[in-house]
Amino acid sequence: MRLELRRAVVEGLVFGPATGLDGGLLTVDADEALRCLEGISLTKMRLEIARPGESVRIIPVKDVIEPRCKVEGPGEVFPGFIGDVETVGEGATLVLDGAAVVTCAPVVGFQEGFIDMCGPGADYTPFSKTKNLVLIAEPEEGLEKHAYEGALRMAGLRLAHYLAKACASVAPDRTETYELPPLAGRNSDLPRFVYIYMLQSQGLLHDTYLYGVDVKKILPTLIHPNEVLDGAVASGNCVSACDKNTTYHHLNNPVIAELYRRHGVDLDFLGVIVTNENVVLVDKKRSSSYTAKLASMIGADMAIVTEEGYGNPDTDLVMNCAKLERRGIRTVLVTDEAAGADGASQGLADAVSEATAVVSAGNVNAIVVVPPMDRVLGWPESIATLSGGNESSLRPDGSIETEIQAIIGSTNELGFSAIGSRWV
Amino acid sequence: MVKEIERAGFPVVHIATIVPISLTVGANRIVPGVAIPHPLGNPDLPAEEEFALRRSLVERAFRALTTDVTEQTVFND
Repeated sequence: MRLELRRAVVEGLVFGPATGLDGGLLTVDADEALRCLEGISLTKMRLEIARPGESVRIIPVKDVIEPRCKVEGPGEVFPGFIGDVETVGEGATLVLDGAAVVTCAPVVGFQEGFIDMCGPGADYTPFSKTKNLVLIAEPEEGLEKHAYEGALRMAGLRLAHYLAKACASVAPDRTETYELPPLAGRNSDLPRFVYIYMLQSQGLLHDTYLYGVDVKKILPTLIHPNEVLDGAVASGNCVSACDKNTTYHHLNNPVIAELYRRHGVDLDFLGVIVTNENVVLVDKKRSSSYTAKLASMIGADMAIVTEEGYGNPDTDLVMNCAKLERRGIRTVLVTDEAAGADGASQGLADAVSEATAVVSAGNVNAIVVVPPMDRVLGWPESIATLSGGNESSLRPDGSIETEIQAIIGSTNELGFSAIGSRWV
Repeated sequence: MVKEIERAGFPVVHIATIVPISLTVGANRIVPGVAIPHPLGNPDLPAEEEFALRRSLVERAFRALTTDVTEQTVFND
């Protein structure tokens, strides 16, 4: 399976009469862009622009999506949502590199986060560095919350696809090729690595989709990393902002990128096992056993496991670890910690003696104060009910004191952030 | 909280869905719950069946409370 990511770099973002990319400037026809959302059960939809360095706060943020579309090969990005459900990961895909679609709406109220485009809060989120087209929307009257989430999810994916599609004829600035040979017939002496990709699937708007399928309903399954690069995994999550994987994170998974970079150099990258984090113990047992079995079947020597969220998914994480290790597969875990404001409490809710190699992406309870912004997109008062915030978080001058878990991507467990620490 | 109640001299039962976490934090009497969003019931069941399920959980918890234990014990039935 061979995939080209053709990256067209976006240096600037403005509204204008016709959507397109010219000389690094992405122009968006807002009326046409909103027309691509017709039929979606949202109202009061409007688009705003937030650029790096501007005094802008976006709150509450539901998802962030990188604009991509297929330009060669079968299927379309975000299969199951855009186009058909054809297997993706082959041919060529256009990436508007540096741009992002951000969806902003008070969908759940208690587990969304914010993005600051400047100031100390900006250091905690990668989306202060992207040129953001922000969709702000409210639900149609009577729309239930799960349907509101579904509508917003679809709106974000459609908008991201629309932007890329409108630029499909642009010559890319650089092209990356991603290719792995079939597992059969590999003749490598290098250690064989599998990536165990844990996806949030607790229900109650804590869901992730694989080819449009709710992953709480799957048995763990083997997929090619290229499928992830083409949007086979899409976020439907309204969980704690700090360590939910937005769709942008999935598309730019740094574990996959690094395993690819070192494939054939000092490791042999076998593939990706997608697994879930369900809310009943029997599912956790079944999925972790099945994951370890799959890893063993494809001959893995080493596994890297990433978690999504914290709390009870810590049990999925350490069950995966113990069962992989017992099969002789050396395992590294990537997670974060809920260790209290002073960092002195136990970081994970669960532990096993086999978990001897753990990378921490930071402490979600660390406190930060962010100053007021000139422009606030969305609903600033929602900080009172975001995970990490409280009723006194929003001060009269517009500044916010909060745990960093209210900032989108601040302790991302794929390692897609600038902060972290190492356990020994 | 379970450990503090026990430290004060009262027997205590932890009804918890994710038993491994309960074991990790050191509870001594554990009754498995149904699911994280609804540990003490199951909204998918008809009312009568759910009532029976809830009653059995409470009765199991009472039995656990009145059972002497010498090590961490999970009351599965």
